[in-house]
Amino acid sequence: MALDRTTAPEFLIPENITLIPPIKRMLKNGVALYFIKTPQLDAVKMELVTEANKHLLQKEKALVPFFMMHMLLEGTKEMKSEVIDDFFDHYASEVDVISSFEQSGMSLLTTKKHFKNVLPVFRTLFTDAVFPEKELAKRKSQKELTISIQKTENGARANQLYRKGLFGTDHPYGFIADEDDVRNVSREDLVDFYDKFFMVNPEIFITGNLEENELDLVSNLFGNIPTLNLEDILPDFTISPEKRISELKEKSVQSSIRLGKHLIPKDHKDYHALVLFNTILGGYFGSRLIKNIREDKGHTYGIHSSIGSLRLSDYWIVMADVQKGFADVVIEEVYKEIELLQNEPVGEDELETVRNYMIGHFMSNFSSPFDLINRFKNIHQAGMEYSFYQEQLDYIRTFKAEDIQYIAQTYFNRESIFEVVVG
Amino acid sequence: MIAYEKFVLDNGLQVVVHEDHTTKMAVLNILYKVGSRNEIVGKTGLAHYFEHLMFGGSKNVPSFDTALEKVGGSCNAFTNTDITNYYTSLPAINLETAFWLESDRMLHLNLSDKTIETQRKVVIEEFKQRYLNQPYGNAFHLMRNLAYDVHPYRWPTIGQSITDIENYQRQDVEDFFLTHYRPDNAVMVVAGDVTIEQVKELSEKWFGDIPAGNIPKNTIPMELPQQKKKIFTIHADVPTDALYKVYHVPGRLEEKYLECDLITDILGFGRSSILEQKLVKNTDIFASCSGYVMGNVDPGLMVFNGKMEKGHTAEEAEKVLDEVIGDFLKSEISPAMLEKVKNQAEAMKTFEAVQLLNRAMNLAYYTHLGDTDLYLKEYEKKTAIPAENIITVANELMVEENSSVLYYKKTKE
Repeated sequence: MALDRTTAPEFLIPENITLIPPIKRMLKNGVALYFIKTPQLDAVKMELVTEANKHLLQKEKALVPFFMMHMLLEGTKEMKSEVIDDFFDHYASEVDVISSFEQSGMSLLTTKKHFKNVLPVFRTLFTDAVFPEKELAKRKSQKELTISIQKTENGARANQLYRKGLFGTDHPYGFIADEDDVRNVSREDLVDFYDKFFMVNPEIFITGNLEENELDLVSNLFGNIPTLNLEDILPDFTISPEKRISELKEKSVQSSIRLGKHLIPKDHKDYHALVLFNTILGGYFGSRLIKNIREDKGHTYGIHSSIGSLRLSDYWIVMADVQKGFADVVIEEVYKEIELLQNEPVGEDELETVRNYMIGHFMSNFSSPFDLINRFKNIHQAGMEYSFYQEQLDYIRTFKAEDIQYIAQTYFNRESIFEVVVG
Repeated sequence: MIAYEKFVLDNGLQVVVHEDHTTKMAVLNILYKVGSRNEIVGKTGLAHYFEHLMFGGSKNVPSFDTALEKVGGSCNAFTNTDITNYYTSLPAINLETAFWLESDRMLHLNLSDKTIETQRKVVIEEFKQRYLNQPYGNAFHLMRNLAYDVHPYRWPTIGQSITDIENYQRQDVEDFFLTHYRPDNAVMVVAGDVTIEQVKELSEKWFGDIPAGNIPKNTIPMELPQQKKKIFTIHADVPTDALYKVYHVPGRLEEKYLECDLITDILGFGRSSILEQKLVKNTDIFASCSGYVMGNVDPGLMVFNGKMEKGHTAEEAEKVLDEVIGDFLKSEISPAMLEKVKNQAEAMKTFEAVQLLNRAMNLAYYTHLGDTDLYLKEYEKKTAIPAENIITVANELMVEENSSVLYYKKTKE
């Protein structure tokens, strides 16, 4: 019998997706350690994350946390910079700086075989760094160069202006680094920040094929670091009064566009619906924006919308680099797609596609242990429980077209959306 | 250790199965043995453009993406100089849908004029976004064009110019499909929560009746050994000078390739590498510097590139780079250095294997090279190479007449 290729094979919707929570340990100094065991994988990842960031400093010193973090590998009381480099490379272990808007910290990627060897040296970075002048001077000139290169990149510039519009440049989230800010950083600033603030509210996250005795080693080594507990002291932000910020660049062959606004927080009752609205609009390859602006009109290589998450604000962003001269056309099409979602319920077929895609995506997101710890970290750092994900999954299985229409009407008025065009 | 089984269908399709029952996901990865090395002058970038068209609908599937999304899956693809690789990730219970989709587009692609024209625009925007609208974005267009005289590696996978992309005809696309997208020119890897029996049955069912191509490919013009150093200078509106220096090296499976890989591991891998320690940390000329080998099937390039600190020129930078390379050529590699490189190669395998998709892609890649086992054994071959061989090969290849240099210079204000 000839094969019938005209009908799609039968398919099933995955049931019983289990979400494994990490094991929690408390260290003597009150630091929480979260661990997920990976019986089959010999890669080990450990992160120590704190809240030491620029909100603790004057604006002129906003780059101090960045340099403090990047100088930790440039020498400790026991080892010089090149000795540290050689040590970690010898054990094939990657030590990386975590330096985001809210988090500071270090990550260690190693193997089970070398874990015990490298852990004590990794531990010294958190208390024994010496911040040598020569290495600092190099780091500063590298950073100045990065800043001047970013100014010539439309995408990077558009991101800066987006943050400026959303938070204001006086706010730690909206701050735009300039060469002068680099020059304002001195060795004394780093030493001072390291001593006083580095260990603000630290937490440890580990994934790997580790046994109890190896976790005991972490507890012993890291349980004696002095820590500092501080309540959030983030200032309020100011939203730009302008509807649009643009920067003209004559020679550019494309324009980088950004659209955005502040959203409701994760613990709001409408949040799960908002995530689905975003997916339908621009959050996956089958989204309305991709179908219209890339697959139908060919104005761009890619256009996406996503939801970002900071302690003070969950926010929405649409990003695309588009054909020169078509920025306004594309922005207008984005509004049109939003209006369509406000005026007409999503059809059955599309609803089924999104639902099933999101269930598969969810399963995929939780399929490796390294993914699991990241998912946990995201929700934990937002101050919420792991059950958030189970609720999200239950919602994906049952949401309705009118939920999406309600979100579009309630949260996405054209007037509330802010625009950036560079190029 | 990564376990796999392998079989070949009558039409020549090679199939590799990697079972991993710790996940509920499955990956179906199809690699076609075609890349920009199979292109000709005037039609450059066609392999990559064709990759876009593969998502444009086939006889029984109007939209590849939608059909896959409907069963909880997602997909993507990439093209490089040597291969075009398509991957699909989905809940393992729906594996058959991936077979249906991939076999339908291998059997009978169905392209509308609209798809051909829209994807042409999309690829042109991709060209601009990645190569024209970025500082130093066209450096590898210039570098490849300088280093190669005749081999198709002289243009990047995106294509030599936008003009070439504008000029593809429907006939080019159809010929390309029939020449390269046949089962005997492909490798399929199925990995994850699947069984060998299941994959055998599904492969026969969905791919068994697709006819083989047996179509001879064009001969690829090979480079003659370079006789003289080549230099090219460009002035552009960039914040600082950049230097690109390359040497010709053997192809992926040829003798001395692994030695070259070790040379750049020692010179350029990690914070303790020679380039980082000597050129970046201890001069005020280099702000950054990296070194690596392009692992091409045909003879490729060993690349050194870096950005200069403000006020220093690419020419100055080349001088100090040459000194460091000169010292390396006269040096002996210490046992400690070799042990470090060995540890790194071993750990890299562990890190790579974390994601199922990486394992599937690697199995496909090494099968395409002709030896699936090499995925597991290349590391042993590489780490068994004696230190003196590394230096001997370095002295043979890292000579001026085998080099090409691009000075990417900041326009004077």
